[in-house]
Amino acid sequence: MSQYVAVFASLNQTALLKRALYREGIFADMLRTPHCLASTGCSFALSCDGTELVALEAQCQRLAIAHGGIFERDAVSGVYRPRGERPL
Amino acid sequence: MIYLDNAATSWPKAPGVVRAVVNVLKSAAGNPGRTSHRSALDAAELIQECRENLAALIGVGNPLRICFTANTTEALNLAIKGVLKPGDHAICSSMEHNSVWRPLVALESSGVELSIAQANSHGVLVRAAVERLIRGNTRLIVLTHASNVNGAIQPVAEVGELARSRGIPFLVDAAQSAGSIPIDVKAMKIDLLAFPGHKGLLGPQGTGGLYVSEHVDLRPLMEGGTGSHSLEAAQPAEFPDRLESGTLNLPGIAGLNCSVQYLLKKGVATVARHEARLTRRLIEGLKCVDGVTVYGPGAEIDRAPAVSFNLCEWDAMAVAEQLESRAGIACRPGWHCAGLAHRTLGTAEQGTVRLSPGPFTRAAEIDAAIETVAGLASNG
Repeated sequence: MSQYVAVFASLNQTALLKRALYREGIFADMLRTPHCLASTGCSFALSCDGTELVALEAQCQRLAIAHGGIFERDAVSGVYRPRGERPL
Repeated sequence: MIYLDNAATSWPKAPGVVRAVVNVLKSAAGNPGRTSHRSALDAAELIQECRENLAALIGVGNPLRICFTANTTEALNLAIKGVLKPGDHAICSSMEHNSVWRPLVALESSGVELSIAQANSHGVLVRAAVERLIRGNTRLIVLTHASNVNGAIQPVAEVGELARSRGIPFLVDAAQSAGSIPIDVKAMKIDLLAFPGHKGLLGPQGTGGLYVSEHVDLRPLMEGGTGSHSLEAAQPAEFPDRLESGTLNLPGIAGLNCSVQYLLKKGVATVARHEARLTRRLIEGLKCVDGVTVYGPGAEIDRAPAVSFNLCEWDAMAVAEQLESRAGIACRPGWHCAGLAHRTLGTAEQGTVRLSPGPFTRAAEIDAAIETVAGLASNG
């Protein structure tokens, strides 16, 4: 199962989304955004699997929180690439 | 001790508050937003949970629009100084606390104009008193929900309607009402709500907050570390980061979260009914004592649980000392940091003695206070 990371501007937004998803029965892990994805410095992210992305994006819309990108983590290399982008 | 000083700070606190504060201090809670170890992330969730509970209590749709502050004064300063610019005009009532009056007066030196809407001699304002002061450059209306001197409740929903119809941001000081009187920011058309955590919300001192509606553009009072956008020089635009620089009071917020949960379960309306009964009992009892003057609307009119009185020409401080020495009653004498309100009530010279029951006050304690005042009146 592919793992995805959705990046958010602040920890407050991330915590709000995490709790909203938890109420839907989805446990998304909160983490500090990996440096390679943190374009403006410190930020936080939610990690979830592919089946949970729809719910995550729906909550983003409901709570009017814009994400700073969703990235797929390569299970072998650990490299992140934008969702939907094919590996080289 | 008979504690009748809940308008200054509530005591006792809600069940579980002490444990919640101690748990945070004992469990090596991390600094939210600064790192990613478990305890820091848990701390962030606890803070978020508190925001959500506060939002549920005051009718806020988006919990991220609630910013934590150290107290109501900080929240009011943040709102007043974040909205007003030189050339703007603001209106407040003549029943405001110094934490509204002083920042507004301070801004006059930088070109902000201030008008004061006069309340009547009971301390109650009418909508028309505000309406007639509105000008083309009015950018803020500030109103206390309930007076900290005599508990007089102001027509917040009516003034909110007026402010919204004119497109003027409306700031409410809920220092004496949050947790004691039901508040719904949407229904009351409140754009900015400043509240303490340690009074009616029954949490620890050092906690408070400001709700900021999406209608208002607020400049921060402080810039600094937020744990977000760290490489950028500009303060983040996202709420609450925009207004929350520096490490938050996590132990205090943990206690506040516990007390707000208690209030959500009990219901603010239930607390309000209990306090209204005690307040009526207190007013009616004091009015029966020869030489006592009670300030404010009659006992038949609801007010927040704060009752101000004087005994003949007695010094308010002397009355308070006698109440404590004779019956262990804790109250507040003096001018209650509200010069404007005392001028309105005609008590600027003498000050008043304020008795303020809380959710855990018993009727027998009110009766003891009345008897002690009666004893003072008859024996001196």
